[in-house]
Amino acid sequence: MTATPATINGRLARPLLSWRMRMLLVGYAYLVPAALCLLATVVVPIVLAIKMSLYADVLYKPQDYRFIGLANYLRLARDPVFWLTLWNSVVWVFGSVIFQFILGFAAALLLHQSFRGRGLLRTLNLLPWIIPGVVVGLIWEWLYQPNYGLINDLLVKAGLMHDRVAWLSSPDLAMPAVVFTNVWRGIPFFAIMLLAGLQSIPTELYDAARVDGAGVLARFWHITVPLLRPIIVVATATRIIWTFNYADLIFVMTSGGPANATQITSTYTLLQAYSNLDFGYAGALSVVLLLVMLIFTAFYLRVTRGVDEVG
Amino acid sequence: MRRTTANRAERLLRGPILWAGLAGLTAFALGPFIWMLLTSLKDHQELYATPLQYLPRHVTFENYVDAWTSPVTPFSRFFLNSLWVCSVTMVATTAVSVLAGYAIARFRFAGRDTLLLIFLATQMFPSVLLIAPLLTQWRAFDLIDTYQALIYSNFSFTVPFTVWMMVGYFSSIPRDLEESAMIDGCSQFGALCRVVLPLAAPGVAATAIFAFVVSWSELLFAISFTTQTDMRTLSAGLLYMVGQYEVQWGPLSAGVIMSTVPVAVLFTFLQRHLIHGLTAGAVKG
Repeated sequence: MTATPATINGRLARPLLSWRMRMLLVGYAYLVPAALCLLATVVVPIVLAIKMSLYADVLYKPQDYRFIGLANYLRLARDPVFWLTLWNSVVWVFGSVIFQFILGFAAALLLHQSFRGRGLLRTLNLLPWIIPGVVVGLIWEWLYQPNYGLINDLLVKAGLMHDRVAWLSSPDLAMPAVVFTNVWRGIPFFAIMLLAGLQSIPTELYDAARVDGAGVLARFWHITVPLLRPIIVVATATRIIWTFNYADLIFVMTSGGPANATQITSTYTLLQAYSNLDFGYAGALSVVLLLVMLIFTAFYLRVTRGVDEVG
Repeated sequence: MRRTTANRAERLLRGPILWAGLAGLTAFALGPFIWMLLTSLKDHQELYATPLQYLPRHVTFENYVDAWTSPVTPFSRFFLNSLWVCSVTMVATTAVSVLAGYAIARFRFAGRDTLLLIFLATQMFPSVLLIAPLLTQWRAFDLIDTYQALIYSNFSFTVPFTVWMMVGYFSSIPRDLEESAMIDGCSQFGALCRVVLPLAAPGVAATAIFAFVVSWSELLFAISFTTQTDMRTLSAGLLYMVGQYEVQWGPLSAGVIMSTVPVAVLFTFLQRHLIHGLTAGAVKG
């Protein structure tokens, strides 16, 4: 009984805050849950990682826990495995992304043509990209298996090889083998990005070029490539950053072995945190990963901004 | 003369070359799956036959039964764990990103562009980097071997992308409708629930499925923050099956197929929306 007149009074009275202010407050309130999520799972952990990197922090040696300044970073600079992992990361990233791009571009051009069953083929070709990383790793481990693997069997039958090869436990072949798997997995990413780009190119351009007598190659080179440039830049940059950080596949297939032949910086960080429980050292490695990611992202943002201005 | 060769080249490109290319592409994408599927349908003897036997002569579902009921690697338990973790992650992520996406799409506040950039940058964030600090954090809160630890950790990679997706969907819905609803006496929140959300329903559904699919694939958090076999998710459980003894490829291949099917099915619903979300920032028009 008393509540009803009170609300009426409240509505009639001049509001304490203007409508604009109230809308802003509502807006901020809507952001709170997302901000809390990121604070708890991203921001605080980063600060914690930086702090950990300054401590001797090995989980099973709690008695040794103390502040040691930059000692973890010095150890990093003198650790030959760390430098090896940086080099391996370069091979892993560029080996994967270059072939993913070339084959993904080819896939996009093929799937852009009109033919019966196009929708179904597009969906089927995306499959390698959407399945869990563990599943990709296990499928290929089975394909590479020395005695019962399909790859050895086919290569021997085709006469390309005499003896069966232990792909994932040979120091020379392990990296190409995991890169090949990653290429298989990443082709659909470039295919869908570039396919979306192809669909946004007006067909009139091609028709006009055809009337002017431009051949297939000329049309590809003078229409398709320049118009796709922005999306190529964005897709490649995103993929480079993502591949650099991606640890699942190598972790499942080789755990960085044999003898660190496939150890990249992100799997090395995982190894220090997960297997060695050396959180101080893992923290220092995390900070390095973070810095590399920030440099890449800054570069990426500059490049995409440049693309926006051109386009 | 030049024109006819060009035409012939084009006919070749449209005909045989197109079909050969498509066949090669699809065979390469699907071959490994088909091999795994065939493996899962073979019995032990056929699986380890020399020379290699390509097709199962006696199709058997033994491997599926073994994987599902094994007491050492309880696949049914892993499946339920994944289902629970991913469902809760999905619901929570969707609620959080609907609110945040709406706020960013509709309100012009200071720091809006910076915030969008932060969400974009966080998408590139390496989960590997978060493992050591999150492990310390969950240990301090005594959350090791709980579903909460996995669900909270999943937010670190689901929320940034889904917020970005939702901003895109809400921006494409005209403001007039909710403004007239508010003039008619709807509250801000009421307008969001009754007017905007129904219009954005396909986008919200896509966001939800996306959150589910990416949490389904998550591996590193799941192996780091759980120690008991009973708490493992599918991804972590598959890896655990490998670590147990000499790899049992029969049950393992069955496990691989069973963990792939749900995401593959969900993805076919999601495909168009996800592609839209992925390329919204990159393609103009």
